Amino acid sequence: MELISQIFGGVFAFGPIAAMISASILGVFIGALPGLNPVMAIALLLPLTYSMEPLVALGMVAGIYNGSMYGGAIPAILLRIPGTPAAIATTFDGFPMAQRGEASRALKIACWSSAIGGTASAIALMTIGPVLARATLYFGPAEYFWVAMFGMASIGVMVGKDAVKSLMAAAFGLLLGTVGLDQLSGTPRFTFGEVWLLSGLDLIVILVGLYALPPVIALAEDRDLKGLSASALKLESVKVPWGEVRSMIPTWLRSSLIGIGVGILPGAGGNIAAFLSYNAAKSTSDDPESFGKGNPLGVAAAECGNNADNAASMIPALTLGIPGNVIAALVLGALMIHGLQPGPQLFHQNPGLVGGFMVQMLLTSLLILAVGGAAATRIFAQVQRLPGVMLVPMILVLMAVGVYVINGRVIDLWVMFAAGIAGYVLEKLDVPLAPIVLGLILGPMAEQSVRRALLISRGDPTELFTRPLSAVIALATIGLIVWPMLRAWKRRRA
Amino acid sequence: MKYLALALAAVAVGTPVLAEYPERAIEVTIPAPAGGGTDTSARKLGTLLEEELGTSIAVLNVAGGGGSVGVTQFMMQKPNGYSLLATWNSPITTVPQVQQTAYQPDSFTPIASTSETAYTLCVKPDFPAETGEEFLAELAANPGKYTYGNDGIGGTMQLAAERIFQSEGIEAVAIPFGGAGETLQNFLGGHVDIYGGSISPVLPYTESGEAKCLIVTSAAAVPALPQAAGLESLGMGDKETLLWRMVLAPAGTDQAIVDRLAEALEKTVNDPSYVEFLATKGEVPNVVVGDALAERLQNEYDALAIVAENLGLNQ
Repeated sequence: MELISQIFGGVFAFGPIAAMISASILGVFIGALPGLNPVMAIALLLPLTYSMEPLVALGMVAGIYNGSMYGGAIPAILLRIPGTPAAIATTFDGFPMAQRGEASRALKIACWSSAIGGTASAIALMTIGPVLARATLYFGPAEYFWVAMFGMASIGVMVGKDAVKSLMAAAFGLLLGTVGLDQLSGTPRFTFGEVWLLSGLDLIVILVGLYALPPVIALAEDRDLKGLSASALKLESVKVPWGEVRSMIPTWLRSSLIGIGVGILPGAGGNIAAFLSYNAAKSTSDDPESFGKGNPLGVAAAECGNNADNAASMIPALTLGIPGNVIAALVLGALMIHGLQPGPQLFHQNPGLVGGFMVQMLLTSLLILAVGGAAATRIFAQVQRLPGVMLVPMILVLMAVGVYVINGRVIDLWVMFAAGIAGYVLEKLDVPLAPIVLGLILGPMAEQSVRRALLISRGDPTELFTRPLSAVIALATIGLIVWPMLRAWKRRRA
Repeated sequence: MKYLALALAAVAVGTPVLAEYPERAIEVTIPAPAGGGTDTSARKLGTLLEEELGTSIAVLNVAGGGGSVGVTQFMMQKPNGYSLLATWNSPITTVPQVQQTAYQPDSFTPIASTSETAYTLCVKPDFPAETGEEFLAELAANPGKYTYGNDGIGGTMQLAAERIFQSEGIEAVAIPFGGAGETLQNFLGGHVDIYGGSISPVLPYTESGEAKCLIVTSAAAVPALPQAAGLESLGMGDKETLLWRMVLAPAGTDQAIVDRLAEALEKTVNDPSYVEFLATKGEVPNVVVGDALAERLQNEYDALAIVAENLGLNQ
């Protein structure tokens, strides 16, 4: 009881509350602007808070993290430009909805789904976090290999009309993922003697080019030179009927569980969570054909999944001292600067602080409803009224600034530009882009894990199947591939 | 004529710049991702340095290539005192052994080292050894049996361990991971036998009894790890390899600026709040400046070159 009053007394003070609200708003904007990303924002802002109350700093982290994960959905829905890597799956159904004139509805669903995913994740962090964290230790290199393969199997769901093109796109992504210094042998691959390529192709740089430039070029092609559209967008709140809300509950439940599961595994991220959630929603649907054509469940699954990753990704960091992603590492860094030693004793060292941060992850998830739903969405929905002649240069400048700031080098701008041209050509050829991204993210994870597993087993490949946990994930992967085939076969017979 | 006067005025204004250094923001390149050990150390130091120098400090994280990407990018900076590099030793003394780099340890103006810590080797409680000596004997008796996680192939951690192993004729299987956090995860899960990495991540687990650390790579023992033997006590004091951090400037930086920075660093590193912060990470301050720092870099570079060559890793 004393602990609870200590935690809430710490969180419900002026500084932490102000930090959470302003950071949530800022987070939504950062997520919504392609190129700017939460890692950058937190890395820039966190040092400014070192001299402040720790809960102010952590409230800011929570707000930016949760806010930006929702913010990424806004341009994904309105412009088909994912604001963050995790919002790619949101474009699949969000943009078709916007084209149908249902932008407000899609944004509302995204907002609710983000809040629900984030809340479920925060509750998991507060309740079963330590148990879950212990379970992640069973994941060795062999298991990580299968997790990556499981993710890759979801490429099946992105296969467009032409399966061969999708597989070629995935292979292209795998190839891009091999660029850079090989972590296991120390050998540079496909770097052509360029030092900046040693770190591999920066995911955000490729993504901004691949996903943001083609829609911008498409906008430019429309040659929309007229002024501000007089026909104001209908911004009054769209009623989502209870029946529809009820139909989303299974999707929210499933996506929350997937997001939490992916989140606790160090190294996997919100983008994988969103893809897997989307895949699960599609393959369990009675009408899988409607996905990709503006099915609200697709938006709900992707947005719920990527926000459910957030608080869960803090679980290994706060309970074991093992940061699973850069944001978790920054949080641990901030705690260390305030004199705490990350590890299993963290909660006992300062329960007020660690518990307070958990509560902040919960509160900022709920704040998405207020700042995302009411304020930010209305501002950003105005984007649809802007004519192309204004929109195109604005987005281009934002993209360039965002990409340049990541590493402070000009060559990244050229990489982004090249990726954009490639994306534009590939779209014209009806080659889906999502398998490229999935290959780029999961390829290195699969390759490094399998090689590590083989190093540990001294080259014996049977260990990839005989470890109990790896066998389970391997079977699940096979099931994921075979299940849609079985269903299609059954339907044809019926 | 008017222009000449203007130019002269500019020179007149420009001359005392050195005396007023710094008069604008300083950019610090960190060749590591945000949130890591080098990053937090440098950022914390940066906030203290901002007060000391009376200017703001902007941080740029350029990760990749074991640090070589950021260091190479830094080499293009002007030697005007407004671009500094905050790095740990590996990118300067280890990476050039295993990669083709455009730089050598003497490609920079050394300013000051800031802090240091040892690496450690730890095992599970049921490992058949209780002391550093028994640990090495067990490894030597079972060539190729044990796996040890490390921070990456050809990284300083691996070379620090191999430096010890080579002198004892030990053969252990190196499993490279992305960093100490990943190594710790795989060690706790039982996927590798030996944790190899910095002290701070594993420290809580020695206190809880889930890990016993038997060796540190410093000559002296480390108070936080009472069971671990220092290399001196094992008769290998000359095989010491530390993880240490420093601030460097581009080659050709003005001596007055170097002195001003070294003086400011010496003061801030020994600031009680920074020393306390270092202690939570198992690090201690150690400021070495000027020629002594250049010598320290060169000596370490030469010693590790031999280890890398024996491993067949050298370029």
